[in-house]
Amino acid sequence: MTIRSMRMWRRPIPDKSRWSFVVGRSRWWLANPKTKLPVKLNDRTSDQGRTTNDASPLKTMPKQIYDVIVIGTGAGGGMAIKTLCEAGLKVCAINAGRRLDPEKDFRYHRMPWDMKFRGLDDPKRRSESFGYMDNEYTKAAWDHEIPFTVAPGTKWMWPRCNAVGGKTNFWGRSSARFGDIDLRAASRDGYDVDWPVTYEEISPFYTRVEKMIGVASTVQNRPSNPDGSYLPPFNFRCLDFILQAGCNKVGVPYLPDRCAQLTQPHEGHPACHFCGECTTGCDVGAFFSTPYFLLPKAEATKNLDLRTNALAKNVLVGENGHAAGVAYIDRKTKQEVEVYSRAVVVAASCIESARIMLNSKSRYWPNGIANSSGQLGRNLCDHLYGESARGYLPQLVGQPSFPDHVADSTIAWMPRWQNLKDPHEEKFIRGYSVYPDGGCEEFPWFANDLDGFGSLFKREIKRRYPSPVSFGIQAPSLRSDTNFMDLDPEVKDPYGIPVARLHFEWDENVLKMWEHSKHVCAEVLHAAGGVLEGSGQNPEIPGWSLHETGTCRMGNDPKNFVTNRFGQAHDVPNLYVCDASVFLNCTDKTTTISILAFSLRTSEHLIENFRRGEHKAA
Amino acid sequence: MAGQGIRRREVLRILGTAAAAAHFPGFSKWTFACGHVGNAALQIKPAMYHPQFFTLPEFGAIERLAEIIIPSDATPGAKEAGVAEFIDFMVSSDPEVQYSFRTGLAWLNAHSEDVNGKRFVQLTQEQQTSLLEPLGFKDKTRPGEETGRKFFRMMREYTVTGFYTSEIGYKELDNPALKFYAESPECPHHDDPEHAHVAQAHSG
Repeated sequence: MTIRSMRMWRRPIPDKSRWSFVVGRSRWWLANPKTKLPVKLNDRTSDQGRTTNDASPLKTMPKQIYDVIVIGTGAGGGMAIKTLCEAGLKVCAINAGRRLDPEKDFRYHRMPWDMKFRGLDDPKRRSESFGYMDNEYTKAAWDHEIPFTVAPGTKWMWPRCNAVGGKTNFWGRSSARFGDIDLRAASRDGYDVDWPVTYEEISPFYTRVEKMIGVASTVQNRPSNPDGSYLPPFNFRCLDFILQAGCNKVGVPYLPDRCAQLTQPHEGHPACHFCGECTTGCDVGAFFSTPYFLLPKAEATKNLDLRTNALAKNVLVGENGHAAGVAYIDRKTKQEVEVYSRAVVVAASCIESARIMLNSKSRYWPNGIANSSGQLGRNLCDHLYGESARGYLPQLVGQPSFPDHVADSTIAWMPRWQNLKDPHEEKFIRGYSVYPDGGCEEFPWFANDLDGFGSLFKREIKRRYPSPVSFGIQAPSLRSDTNFMDLDPEVKDPYGIPVARLHFEWDENVLKMWEHSKHVCAEVLHAAGGVLEGSGQNPEIPGWSLHETGTCRMGNDPKNFVTNRFGQAHDVPNLYVCDASVFLNCTDKTTTISILAFSLRTSEHLIENFRRGEHKAA
Repeated sequence: MAGQGIRRREVLRILGTAAAAAHFPGFSKWTFACGHVGNAALQIKPAMYHPQFFTLPEFGAIERLAEIIIPSDATPGAKEAGVAEFIDFMVSSDPEVQYSFRTGLAWLNAHSEDVNGKRFVQLTQEQQTSLLEPLGFKDKTRPGEETGRKFFRMMREYTVTGFYTSEIGYKELDNPALKFYAESPECPHHDDPEHAHVAQAHSG
C-alpha cells in the first residue's frame, strides 16, 4: 500500500499487507520465545476447580465480593453496567484498555496538516494496520498486542478497540431494529432455527434504547424494518435526490437511514455540528457512545468500580461450577489479578467473549465454561461488505462543493427489498441492504484514477469533487458448521493466554447476494443518469464489517445453545452474555442497537434474579 | 440552507481542544506556506530545506515534478503547499518505497539525457512537459517506458495526497470540512430532484 490511501480511511487495504499482521505476528512470536512475559505469571489455568477461598492474592485482606463483574465496556457491557448500577448492584467493570481522553485522543477536529503523517499514520506501521478505521486519528484505541491466528484458507480481519467504550467510540451509527422477518426467518425459509425471542418481546427494549441514544430517521412502514421513535432525519443531499430518482425507476427503496447521531439536542447531549467523518470519534459526544451516554450515569451511582488496562483472562469457577469471579492481567504491572462476584457478565465482543469462556477451563468445565453443548465459539456469522458499484453523477460535475459527508454513509440507505413477500423469490434466501455514499469527501480519492497532469488535471479534480458515488452492500452470512472460532493449540499471546483461531469462509448464499447487488446497483446508477466506473473485484474479507455474531447463541435447548433466551448461560446460571455473540445470525441490519436492546433485557433479567435471591455470595 | 460557516478552527478554540502542531523536519515549511494566504508571506523565504531522504539534486527533481503535476496557476499549487517537503518526509519514513523513488528518478534523468542530452531539472519547462506526457497520459503511452510510467503514477499519487491534505488543497476544493453547520445541510434544488438542469444552469 502506498500513501494513495487516504483511501485507506475508508477503503480496503490490499490483502497482502493485511495478512502480514496476523501471520507475521504469530510467526514472529513463535520464532522469538524471548517475547514471552517479562514477568512470569502465576499459571492459574492449571489450578483447576479450586474454590474462590483459596489461592487468592488477597488472602490476607478481607475479600471484596462484588455483585456483578462486567467484562467489557462497549455497547453490551456499557448498557449492562449502567442498568445494573442504577438498580443498586455493586459492579466491577473490567476493560482491556485505557480510558480515552477526548481532549487528547479524539483528534478529529485536527486538520490533516496538523497531523504528523496527515492522518495517514506512520508508513512503518502499515503492516499492523487494521484498515480504514485504524489511522493516525484513532490509533491509540486499537489493540495491536494480542495476536490471533487463522486456519488455512481463512481470511479474517479482527480490529479490536480496547479503549473504554470499545467500538462505540467510532461506530457507523446505523441503527435499524431487527424485525420478525429476521427473528423468525427460519420459519419462513426453513434454514436454521428461529430466535427464542419475538419482535413483540424485544420491541419495548428497542423503544427505550432509542430514547436513550437518539436515532434520527423517519417512519417508513416497510415489511423488513419495524419503525421506532425517531429524532428528525438528516436532510437529503443533492446526490440522495438523484439516486432516489434512479431507485424509483428500478423499483428499489431509497430512504433516510436510522442514524444514531443527534439532529437536535437530546437528553442532555448536544446536537451534531455536521463536521463529518464521525468514525474518528466525536469529541462533543453528539452521537451515542458508552463513555458519553452510559458510563457517566453508572459512575454517578457510586456503584461502579471501573478497572482499566485489565485484560480478562478467564472466568473463575467456584465449588459448584458456578462463576465466582474473573481473573485478569493488569497490563501495567503484568500481574494476574482476581476479582470476585456473585454473577459475571461477559461482553467483550463476539470472538473475545468466546475466547475468554473457552479459556475458562476447570474440572467442572474441561472444554470451557458453560460449554456442555460444545457450541461455544461455533456458528460464527458476519456481514459481507463490499463496493457493489462506484461511479459519478455528471449532474454534479462542476457544482459548488457541498457538505455531503456530515454523517458518512448513514444519511440514506436502501433497506432490504429482496425476499419480502415470498422467502424464495430470489436465487438466495434472506436479504441484504445497501448504503449509498459519495459527494464531497475529506479527500478526492477518485483523483488517482484520473489521467494526465498540470492545470487541466487540477481543474478536473475540482470539477469532479462533488460527483463521486458508491454503493456498499451489507449482507448476512448463514450459520454453518464450518464457520467458527476456537483456541489455537500452540500460539499464545504475550501473557501466555491461548489466542483465538478463526475458521471462516463466505457461503454460497451470501456470495449470490454480492453478485445480485452488483447488478442492481449498476442499474440504479444508470437509471439515475450516473456513470458506472466499476465495482469491488471481490467483497471485503470476513471481519471487515466488525459485525460478527453467534459464538454463544441463545436458544431454549441446552443441548444446542450456550445461553437461554435471556442470554444467561444454560450450564452456569450466574453467567450472562451481553454482546452479539448471543445472536443467532447477523441479519441485514447492523448490530449495535440490537446489542443495546438485548443487553438491557438481559441486565433486567439478571436484576430480577438478584431480587428473587437466585444469586448469592459464593 | 443553514450553513453557519463557523471556521472549524474557531470551534476548535471554543471547544478548548486546541491542536498541538506536530514538530518534525519538513513541517515548518508547509505550515509556513499554509498559514499565510497570499504571496506576500511567501516572499520571506524560510531557511533552506534540508531533505531527509533525497539528495539535493533528487529533491530538486521532486520539486519540479510536483509543481508540474499540480501547478500554481489561478490558484496556488504544489509549490505553495510544500508538497515536495511532504513527499520527502513520507518517503524518509517509508523504507518500502525508497528504492522505487530512487530508481524512478535515476530512470527519469537517464531518459532525459537520452532524449535531450541534459538532466531533467536542467530542461526548459516545455521540454520537461513533453518528456512527461507519454508517462502521464494513457493515450500517449509509448512502449519501453513502463518504469517511467510506474514512477510517474506513484509521484502523482504522492503529489495529490500531499496537496489535498494541505490547507491550500482544502481551500482549492472548498472542502466542506472547513466549516460547521447548525442544521443538517440540505439540497437546495427542490424543484429538480433529478438535477437534470443543474449542470446547465451552472455552466450557463
